[in-house]
Amino acid sequence: MKRRSFLWDVGGGLGGVAMAQMLTRDALGSPKPELNGGIHHPAKVKRVIQLFMTGGASPMDTFDYKPALEKLHGQKLGPKEKPEGFTAMPGALLKSPFEFKQHGESGRWVSSVFPHQAKWVDEMGFLMAMKSKTNVHGPGTYMMNSGFLLPGFPCLGAWTSYALGNLTDNLPTFVVLPDSKGLPYNQRGPFSSGFLPAVHQGTVIKAGGSNPVPNLFANERFDFANPTAERDGLALLRQMNEGHASERADDTRLESRIRSYELAAKMQLSAPEAFDLSKETELTRKSYGLDDKVTEDFGKRCLLARRLCERGTRFVQVWSGPQGAVKNWDNHGSISKELPPIAASVDQPIAALIEDLKGRGLFEDTLLIWTTEFGRTPFAQGGDGRDHNGGTFVTWMAGAGIKAGSSYGQSDDWGYQTLEGTTYCYDLHATILHLMGIDHERLTFLQNGIDRRLTDVHGHVVHDILG
Amino acid sequence: MKIFSLLFYVLAAHLLKADESFSSKVEPLLKERCFECHSHEAGKMKGGLSLDSKSGWVTGGDSGPAIVPGKPDESLLIQAIRYQDEEYEMPPKKQLPDAEIEILVNWVKRGAPDPRETTRPPLPNSDWWSLRKLVAPEVPGGEHPIDAFIRHKLTESKLEPTKRADQTTLARRLFVDLHGYLPTPDETESFVNDENPLAYANLVDELLVSPRYGERWARHWLDTIHFADSHGCEHDVKRPNAWRFRDYVIERLNEDVPWDRFVREQLAADVFFPEEPQLTAGLGFIAAGPLEASRAGTAPVTFDYLDRDDIVMQTMGAIVSTTASCARCHTHKFDPITQEDYYSLQAVFAGVGKGDIEYETSTEVMMLRKEMESLIAAAGSRNLSVLLQAQYGEIVSQWISDRKKNLVEWSVLTPEVFMASGGSKLSKQKDHSIFADGPIADQETYTATAQVDLKRLTAVRVEVMKDERLPMGGPGRAGNGNLHLAEVDLQWFATGSDTSVPLKIARASADFDQEGWTSAHAIDGDPVTGWAIFPRINESHHIVFELAKPIDLTTGGRLAVTLKQLHPPKHLIGRFRLSATDAEGGAAQILSSEVIEGLKKPEAQRTDGEKVILAAAALETYAKKRLGTLPPKATVYGVSSSWSHAKKLAAPQEPKVVHLLRRGDIDKPVREIAPGAISEIGHLPGRFELPDPKNESARRAALADWLIHEDNPLTWRSIVNRVWHYHFGRGLCDTPNDFGRMGSQPSHPELLNWLAVWFRDEAKGSLKKLHKLILTSETWQQASQILPNAKDSDNRLLWRMNRQRMDAEVFRDSILRLSGRLDLSMGGPGIEQFKKSQGPQATPALDYSSYDWNSPGASRRSIYRVVWRGISDPFMEALDFPDLGLLAPKRGFSVSALQSLAVFNNDFVLHGSEWLAQRVESEGGDLEAHVQRAVRLVWLRPPSASEHLGFSNYARKHGLSAFCRVLLNSNEFLFIE
Repeated sequence: MKRRSFLWDVGGGLGGVAMAQMLTRDALGSPKPELNGGIHHPAKVKRVIQLFMTGGASPMDTFDYKPALEKLHGQKLGPKEKPEGFTAMPGALLKSPFEFKQHGESGRWVSSVFPHQAKWVDEMGFLMAMKSKTNVHGPGTYMMNSGFLLPGFPCLGAWTSYALGNLTDNLPTFVVLPDSKGLPYNQRGPFSSGFLPAVHQGTVIKAGGSNPVPNLFANERFDFANPTAERDGLALLRQMNEGHASERADDTRLESRIRSYELAAKMQLSAPEAFDLSKETELTRKSYGLDDKVTEDFGKRCLLARRLCERGTRFVQVWSGPQGAVKNWDNHGSISKELPPIAASVDQPIAALIEDLKGRGLFEDTLLIWTTEFGRTPFAQGGDGRDHNGGTFVTWMAGAGIKAGSSYGQSDDWGYQTLEGTTYCYDLHATILHLMGIDHERLTFLQNGIDRRLTDVHGHVVHDILG
Repeated sequence: MKIFSLLFYVLAAHLLKADESFSSKVEPLLKERCFECHSHEAGKMKGGLSLDSKSGWVTGGDSGPAIVPGKPDESLLIQAIRYQDEEYEMPPKKQLPDAEIEILVNWVKRGAPDPRETTRPPLPNSDWWSLRKLVAPEVPGGEHPIDAFIRHKLTESKLEPTKRADQTTLARRLFVDLHGYLPTPDETESFVNDENPLAYANLVDELLVSPRYGERWARHWLDTIHFADSHGCEHDVKRPNAWRFRDYVIERLNEDVPWDRFVREQLAADVFFPEEPQLTAGLGFIAAGPLEASRAGTAPVTFDYLDRDDIVMQTMGAIVSTTASCARCHTHKFDPITQEDYYSLQAVFAGVGKGDIEYETSTEVMMLRKEMESLIAAAGSRNLSVLLQAQYGEIVSQWISDRKKNLVEWSVLTPEVFMASGGSKLSKQKDHSIFADGPIADQETYTATAQVDLKRLTAVRVEVMKDERLPMGGPGRAGNGNLHLAEVDLQWFATGSDTSVPLKIARASADFDQEGWTSAHAIDGDPVTGWAIFPRINESHHIVFELAKPIDLTTGGRLAVTLKQLHPPKHLIGRFRLSATDAEGGAAQILSSEVIEGLKKPEAQRTDGEKVILAAAALETYAKKRLGTLPPKATVYGVSSSWSHAKKLAAPQEPKVVHLLRRGDIDKPVREIAPGAISEIGHLPGRFELPDPKNESARRAALADWLIHEDNPLTWRSIVNRVWHYHFGRGLCDTPNDFGRMGSQPSHPELLNWLAVWFRDEAKGSLKKLHKLILTSETWQQASQILPNAKDSDNRLLWRMNRQRMDAEVFRDSILRLSGRLDLSMGGPGIEQFKKSQGPQATPALDYSSYDWNSPGASRRSIYRVVWRGISDPFMEALDFPDLGLLAPKRGFSVSALQSLAVFNNDFVLHGSEWLAQRVESEGGDLEAHVQRAVRLVWLRPPSASEHLGFSNYARKHGLSAFCRVLLNSNEFLFIE
């Protein structure tokens, strides 16, 4: 079956869930049990939690130790003109204000802003020389999510939903947990399904809200929309729709809509429990930092991510920081003042999440990703701030399929550009898809005359950090 | 062995040897290692390079020839396989074994002998359906041409057309198709009961005439060109004037503007139709797409290329169904679009930027404004031939007689004390004016006091006077004769009082204001703004300050006038004189002394010069007043040469230089490219011949000419296919924005050709005629029933009508209409159906869930919603409203639990359920009647007896609103047969 004609081939008589999925996924093929849920080859990963640090997390102040900067601190050795995409003229080289130490058996250097994550470096695989094609937040955020600098393209989570479908009918397949202070750059753009069917877009969930899944329940002010009216109403609706469909046999779209109300009802039953953090023990809540204002927001969302994954959500994205230039990782003004609070807000929750996933056996088939849209300059901006830099930055992954304590790539002595083992979002995405049993070159969707891929015409699986 | 073979062997021995080694070693290696990404066989020519023929590597890819015969070190192919450059490591996955590298190096060293013939298939235009010259085929039968073509194919495939749908179904289908909502039961019945054989055609006509048609079809075009009311991207701010373009599209569709003209207007209304300024709103087309404002600020070069890329993609996709942007990095792999063609298209738009542009809303207003502006100019230049035209005679004489009646008497004040704080030497002149001389300070303040011999004071006048001793004749001391009066201060010292009273100035006016330096600036409290008179130097001027309330002077005292000359430096007053008046309200009359002189004379005694002066004053006043009454110019978010990088420029800018970029990389400009289009299409030259390369608007006009040329094979096919797509849910070619080799082939190429020619030649580009032709075909009127086990199950051959789910707008507008709430007011700024609050950055936070559905505009048609590109309405998205970051030539179709939750629980639908119940209840009757009525409204049929019973039971138990909610979720409502 040609992909583009799937809508028109619905006369085939497929029914129920299969149809509901087929309607949105067409001819890629279903996840195969013999491939552990993969499509093209055996999958190691069934679900993904992606932690996204909005604003451009500074590599040389976190994971990319640069002793050369200590020697050259204060020297004006950078570009003589403002490079395209810098917000200001680069200043003198700036050493990190934080102390670095080696951790774990792998001896990974980590700065003092991440004391908790430092304990888990032996579980992580690092991409130490990631590069972006832009120094601008909006395009950079698009790129790390959809592989393109422009709006309108599906993000990784949407592609995953399109390729693999759901693991459960009870919860949305792709959930996004934005910072409570606001959406990231491009608003909902980074969670868009782009040209893929709308069903694959990220469901944005307000952690802790009374109605976390949009439209999960009717607004209480509508008296007539009470539970008994709804129960009887759905039964009546089913009756109406079945009567209607019986005279229109072979149009499976009608049947899929009937089924979708049943799935909706299941979600109504299951979702509130999934979102209820009070079900967790005090110890767990404490470990994620829910008792501390600093870590509470991110901690809640990490804990929620774990609960959702445990219950079958395929892809959860947890964002740290809203768009803008404050309260996120966009530390133009002062690394020494702005980075520690945002770093502290995520550090303990992330460590807790790793420990929790391991403790529950979820690490066996869950992939955890820590990433950002680009890095920052080794040159000072203002006093001791740093400007945007797509030249090199760090991403780490942990969990299923990742070679524990590994790393790939290296930036130059200043941490300005990649030196070797350069990876782009394409390689990261190819690697993630690979772990999920998908060949990134064969995951395509015909749009406007082009067989579009998440990885465009690029992408290599980074085997060096795979176990 | 024959002699000649032997001879050949001897003569060509070494060559053959080389060949042998090529076919035995080199070719298999290339095949195994390279063809996957660089051959026609694989359909891939990455980087534009193919290695399956000699010409492939001779021409090379984007980076130039791949091999320099005899010079392995200089050959890109060898560098790539040696992994010399990180960017070009081939094959990318793993380096070749040394032995294989050596084979290739040796081959190149030997001169790269390659006996292979060219295998790249030629791509002539005649080879591809959409590029073939448009010729109308003969209609295969005597009936309706569309039916003739469709049935011809059905017969060939041994398929039967389906019977005509019933009247109710047709009414429902027609209303949704042309108006975008369901008909009412009354509308349906009046059609069903109409026995006129032309009833159907009449209904089509009626619906096409209604302005609801434009509101429905405008959204199709807005989807196609990714129009939204905000920038999108990081700084997703609103475009408060984008709606003018939306209204323009609605109006032009309703007016049935011919397609070629519609295209011309949207690309270059300013060039083609300058006499119809309201069409400037059409330029919103070019600005429809997203704008990355943050990139415009920090990465301007990248911004320019990507912004133009989006415009090119939109223009070529929407108008000629061509994916030109594929050629950004390399010559199009499948379609005849070279990289140079692509950049020549970018060059078309290199002179404009997106932004708010002003335009006149009608020809009359434009003419009037022009006339008034030229009158003002003529008054300024004392242009006799304009000012003394007979047509203005009455205006002038009326003005003169009015003014004579109301001449203000000014008492010239005699300064008693006067001083300059900045060092100027002031001296009193015979006429009671004060002349300034001596050092010229950067800043200066004159103060003068005088007695005022009046009973009361209503206004003070300051004359600045010309004087031969001043530079350029004055009245200022600046080198150009100008002066700047930054601020004025008036104080009254009553007799016997130690302190002064500041006199509040209500208004300042002058006989002439320099642009940007007006009389009002002299009393605004801002020291860096002020009143000035350039270029009207060598003339006397005056400025009048009216007091907020008259001052009683009967007790006597002194007036102190302070003239502050603070900015810019050295713009001092050369000679001035003070006057005062007690005239009631008349002080606002600003008349120059020349005019006053002229007015005082009887008409017969006026010199010609005085007549001109009076006419100038009269007509200037008249023109300014008329200008004030004209409707202001309108603003649309469009494009102009006065915008660049999302900022308004002080003056229009020349077109930017566009380079062909190697691999689309801004750091690798190859050569400058002139404006043009796709050369291979061939109906017009691929590069435009423009007399003035700096004239940006001529570039857009030339592209419009190229696009809508009658021999352009793509344009006419593109639009008829697009219209077909919206009528049938699927185009004859199923990729409406791509008629290239990656797009799909049309199911009925002959019909598409026939329609295109008919639309161009017979219908003269009238969309309404095309709609009527399609809608009156029996093909379109077929029932949508799917036969079990039918051949052609996806209905490619149209043996039935396609059943379609309502799109988001039809769903929404239908609910509003059924419940009697649809507000049909047209046009104007969009309705924000969300709560807006300050976001963390430039983009606001939008909350759709707490919108008040009873607020003004809530019930207007969906087309009037503000569509925020990056934060669009989740409810509409759930029903497949597209992401307008990209072009959306087709709406998607999805089914999911989340969609059902939205349709079941969203506030809008719950309100709609209540509204519908209230409407039905308000019409009287009992519960059974209410249920009956609700079903008729939503399904356009009465419930069966058993349905009626079940529904009524439900409604009795849970209420009518609860029942309406179920109805609005039903497939019978959501699907259009």
